[in-house]
Amino acid sequence: MINLPKKPPPSLMVFLGIPAAFLFSYYCFSKVGFNLSDFRENLQNRYIVTDPLFNPKWSWAIENASEAIIETIQIAILASIVGCFIALPLSFYASQTTNQNKISFFLYKSFLNLVRTIPDLFWAMMFTVAVGLGPFAGVLALVMFSLAIMGKLLSETIDSIDPGPLEAAKSSGASHNQSVFTSALPQVLPNFTAYFLYIFELCIRASVILGLVGAGGVGRIIETQRIFLRFDRISPIIVLILVVVILIEQFSVWLRRRIL
Amino acid sequence: MNLPKQPVQQKVLKYAITSLIVAGSIWSASGLEITLEKILKAPEQIAILVGAMFPLDLSQEAIERILPKVAESLFIAWAGTVIGAIFSFPIAFLAANNVAVNYVSEATKQILNGIRAFPELILAFVFLPITGLGALTGTLAIGIHSIGTLGKLSSEVIEGIDEGPLEAIKSSGGSKINELLFGVVPQVMPTITSYWLYRFEINLRASAVLGVVGAGGVGAELINQLRFRDFPRAGTVLVATVVLVLTVDTISAAIRRRIIKGRSIKIDQ
Repeated sequence: MINLPKKPPPSLMVFLGIPAAFLFSYYCFSKVGFNLSDFRENLQNRYIVTDPLFNPKWSWAIENASEAIIETIQIAILASIVGCFIALPLSFYASQTTNQNKISFFLYKSFLNLVRTIPDLFWAMMFTVAVGLGPFAGVLALVMFSLAIMGKLLSETIDSIDPGPLEAAKSSGASHNQSVFTSALPQVLPNFTAYFLYIFELCIRASVILGLVGAGGVGRIIETQRIFLRFDRISPIIVLILVVVILIEQFSVWLRRRIL
Repeated sequence: MNLPKQPVQQKVLKYAITSLIVAGSIWSASGLEITLEKILKAPEQIAILVGAMFPLDLSQEAIERILPKVAESLFIAWAGTVIGAIFSFPIAFLAANNVAVNYVSEATKQILNGIRAFPELILAFVFLPITGLGALTGTLAIGIHSIGTLGKLSSEVIEGIDEGPLEAIKSSGGSKINELLFGVVPQVMPTITSYWLYRFEINLRASAVLGVVGAGGVGAELINQLRFRDFPRAGTVLVATVVLVLTVDTISAAIRRRIIKGRSIKIDQ
């Protein structure tokens, strides 16, 4: 008879956690008003949406939305560039490898966490109030959005760099800033580029919906047509956006492979 | 000193990227009519808005109005994640190329890509006329988008498993179902569960936003207060959202770490 080790009993987390998760799910579904018979009844109204949705008015969309789609792309380009380059120095302050000062490290890290907590559209709403409706508010919103993501990704990358080169630079007389600039920055630059392209893709996707709150881009047109239930005009716009998004993603994948 | 020269190709690439970035930002900034004047004025304008939000409106009435909305966002996010988890789990097996037949996995992957392409907000306003204003629409939008993202992530987990246990089950006479049940599921369950929780964190942010189109949650409250220029109350909404998201993130990250790392067990021989 082989002496197998005993199977450990399931932990407390399994005993309490799984029933709790089930109960919470049940509670959530009752709270959001999920009711299968109502749902089935409502589903009979689907023709209000599906009929126009599958009868796209292409010429209208191309005529009226192409300018706004370009605006959307411009918002994404500008915001991702500005956001990522602001995040570049901040990330070095938000990593313990390159910032030995505990207090300022904590402050920078918390700042990045706080920015990350607020959803992109909330930023957009606030900036439209602060600086007025239009694409400038959208750019500012996406700057915060990309700043937060880049800050998190890059500072975590800096946490895990090889400290050797930093030490080498310092021991040959470099100041702290010099050593960071010459030995930490080159180590993370390839990652920075890859993250930048990834964030650019995210920004393209996010910039589509900015217009719903008046922050510029193609969302503005979607919003006005949505109110009048003109899904026949919305569906070609959505398809156009998807095509653009896919093209940009392919380009960015190709570029990333070239760089890394 | 005789240092090796930087390769020419790399140098060219560097210049190309730099000029691409500069050209891109100039083209965008001019197209969007962003002037220096606007940029210089922005910090002051933002400071005015933030100043108007504080002190926060913490009156009884405001809190009674805002808290249920914040809670609704939480419910929407969780219910949406549950929908995503339930449906994506079997779909992930169909999409994994080491479990399903090749063309089935390829087709399923394309379907998942298609679902993922639509942002929650767009799904939400397409459902809006069918399911009506309210939390149900948001839940469905988040649920369907989550099927796409969770399906992709889970199928990648399944594709990365160790094939050894499967072979062991097969060689001791197990059926295909046995293989999945005792070979695949125990291997992938911890990672997939932690992805569910991770998705829940993302969905919470998404559900906060969905209120903008009337699909339930705290977003409607924020946009209304901003429109009516009731900035202290808008500040309360914002702070309540931030607190909720931070709390959920912290708890969920702790649970995820525990799931992935497992529990320290004492084995007595």
